[in-house]
Amino acid sequence: MISEASTRELRAVVGEDWFLDTPEDLATYSYDGFLPEFKPEAVIIPGSTDEIARIMQIAHRERIPVVPRGAGTNICGSSVARKGGVIMAFHRMNRILEIDPESMCAVVQPGVVNGDLQKEVASYGLMYPPDPASMFVSTIGGNVALNAGGPRGVKYGVTRDYLLGLEVVLPPGGVIRTGGKTLKNVSGYDLTRLMCGSEGTLGIITEITMRLIPLPPAKATLQAIFADLDDAANTVAAIIGSGIVPATLELIDRVVLDVIGDYGGARFQKDAEALLLIEVDGEDVLVERQGERIERFCRERGAVEVERAGSPEEAERLWEARRTAFGAVASLRPNCIVEDATVPVKRLPEIIRKILEVADKYTLKIGVLAHAGDGNLHPLIMTDLRDKEEMARIDLALEEICEAAVGMGGTLSGEHGIGIAKARFMELEFSGTAIELMRGIKRVFDPHNILNPGSFL
Amino acid sequence: MGFQGLEEVEALKTDTLAQEFDQCIKCGLCVASCPVSKELLLEKYTPRGKIQLARYFTRGDLELSDHYQEIFAKCLLCGACTVTCPSGVDLRKVFLSMRSRITKDRGIHPHMKGVVQSLLSNHNISDEPNEERVEWGEDIPGMAPMARKERAEVVYFVGCVASFFPMVQAIPPNLVKILQAARIDFALLAGDEWCCGYPLIGAGLPGDMEELKAHNLDRVHALGAERVVFSCPSCFHTWKDYYHASLELYHATQFIEALIREGSLTLREVDLTVTYHDPCDLGRNSGVYEAPRQILKAIPGLTLVELENSRAKSVCCGGGGNVEMGDAGLSEKVAQKKIQEIQRTGAHTVVTSCQQCVRTIKGSVRRQKVDLNVMDITELVALALDRA
Repeated sequence: MISEASTRELRAVVGEDWFLDTPEDLATYSYDGFLPEFKPEAVIIPGSTDEIARIMQIAHRERIPVVPRGAGTNICGSSVARKGGVIMAFHRMNRILEIDPESMCAVVQPGVVNGDLQKEVASYGLMYPPDPASMFVSTIGGNVALNAGGPRGVKYGVTRDYLLGLEVVLPPGGVIRTGGKTLKNVSGYDLTRLMCGSEGTLGIITEITMRLIPLPPAKATLQAIFADLDDAANTVAAIIGSGIVPATLELIDRVVLDVIGDYGGARFQKDAEALLLIEVDGEDVLVERQGERIERFCRERGAVEVERAGSPEEAERLWEARRTAFGAVASLRPNCIVEDATVPVKRLPEIIRKILEVADKYTLKIGVLAHAGDGNLHPLIMTDLRDKEEMARIDLALEEICEAAVGMGGTLSGEHGIGIAKARFMELEFSGTAIELMRGIKRVFDPHNILNPGSFL
Repeated sequence: MGFQGLEEVEALKTDTLAQEFDQCIKCGLCVASCPVSKELLLEKYTPRGKIQLARYFTRGDLELSDHYQEIFAKCLLCGACTVTCPSGVDLRKVFLSMRSRITKDRGIHPHMKGVVQSLLSNHNISDEPNEERVEWGEDIPGMAPMARKERAEVVYFVGCVASFFPMVQAIPPNLVKILQAARIDFALLAGDEWCCGYPLIGAGLPGDMEELKAHNLDRVHALGAERVVFSCPSCFHTWKDYYHASLELYHATQFIEALIREGSLTLREVDLTVTYHDPCDLGRNSGVYEAPRQILKAIPGLTLVELENSRAKSVCCGGGGNVEMGDAGLSEKVAQKKIQEIQRTGAHTVVTSCQQCVRTIKGSVRRQKVDLNVMDITELVALALDRA
């Protein structure tokens, strides 16, 4: 419980309008994109680093849990007030502070929406590559805290790969700066990267400096349909092995293709077992040649149909199936759990087969979407949370999938995060020593465990 | 997407409401589509937040409150969230239903009381007596008989806003001119035209529109008319989705487009570059996107530059959902964003097909002293006729 005195103090820092504790406000900051909800005791919306530092001093002294929340779109439960306390939201800190085309970087506040930044830098002929599905809503602060990825990850990497520097408020209230505007920086421990993906457990990110790259001038988009899942997987391996690095290489399996058709989206031929959506970008001559080569790879490896977009409109149409996929699956049952296990690319066919086997074993309906080019799978588990018996089977299935992925040299989570969704699986991937080391780091940063307590550690 | 009818709004029992938003997976994609969320930022004002509040209410976790009323009043009912939702949740339907429940529980929203009062006493949304509905037509030759016809094949249902608000009173004379040019046998209901009832739906009183609906249908039937034309997309949408009449209903753009196609109108060159704003109630909420574009295409010399967000993705002008009555500042901010989007096209003229959009955009253009020409499509067609 936050005491009345602390409430008064916190209110005084941000002002009356930005300290919310009505039942309606608490209800609307009790969730993120994951399933369980926890009502906070208050919501605080700071306007500056200084205010955040003062809030943290109070929270540290009074042991008030603080959970930073960007747009609340993460799907691992990393921005809910699991132990009560305060949700800190960044609506007011939403300015792009600088775009520096000469140094190819940008400096932003944590509440800037990813899509807004992308649009703004594009007007300078630049690109900020990380493109999570939530990009039109999710904030850069949240993206850094979760180390967000996206379909472009196969070529361009993830948030971490563009992060140059940070300003961070530590739980006791101190402010540190890490990194800077330079691409190269080997001074000291890499605290910038330590913060990235720390899911709001180590510090409050208040300013982000990120690297930008030139916007590729041309792009080719292809769609290939396979009657055999293995043919599709082999094609993925062939493309990656050929030296072409596609900007996007997505796979959709038969279960999802059927659902898309039933949902009113595109219908694919009856024997379609998998669809690949492939995009290459870069200089136009190169893109054209790569497009031709990929088309050939697909045909040689048994694609029953290959389509290459001739215009941006056609490309948009080819993307439609992928974009509809999640909604179509989500509409089938009340809830949909999106898995995120990731394996080395060459093990892709193996892990997909494992997922199908697990679905069968536990009589579950699971469709597979995958960022196939980087081995990042998104099995979509269709369910109803209220069905306790089915949920128990899902728990077992999830564990088997995670275990298999880690066993193949992969990871529990490619881009969604651990949060409360996968905390129980941490020991599959890390030894006790490694976990203890993480706990030690947490203690150094946050001795009273007030930042996002109850999350993955 | 739309309603089956007003019975459904009333009949939306708690469990059906819950069924609707049980599909919500809290992904938040709706937040990006919502013009109100962009201005007010707090989660309670986002579509996802409002769905959460509806869920808390139906589960019995929260009681309806004045705060609830204020939150749900800050929605343009533009439907952008509904078309964005990947799970197919009809958010607009949930929000309308919530407004209705809140009104039942807390009474009419204080800012909407005036319009509801006018509507029930004058049968229109203004303070003027309903007989003055056709004041805009006093100088039009042949106007008087149109308002006194005993039989007619077509009725032009003008709507309150264009009848009474000076800023958009040019719309009905222009449409009249177009219909006359095409030699259409049409009538006006004049003082016998009552508000369609649309503002009552927004005010959470869908049940109270029965009398208006019965009256309007009776008047149209008395003329023996089979077709009704609307220049107002909201009247059109209301008749289409709530009146359940066996009449042919046309928005002006559909009617004019057909006249052009049949060769009943000859349009001459208008050397102009324009952009087009899809009104929410015509586009998303009634599914009419092509007709206005076909009209623009039929005007020689005219160039159309599309907005970044057009058709189903069109962003509300700020004039929807009775929001301007309760929070004029919010409506204005949304309008300013719209104007910026329009300006980014490079066109100096924006054409739309809705008197409320014209009013909202033009009002903001004047207040902000922006150099932008705002036109209803009827004005543009009338201009192309003049040159014939």
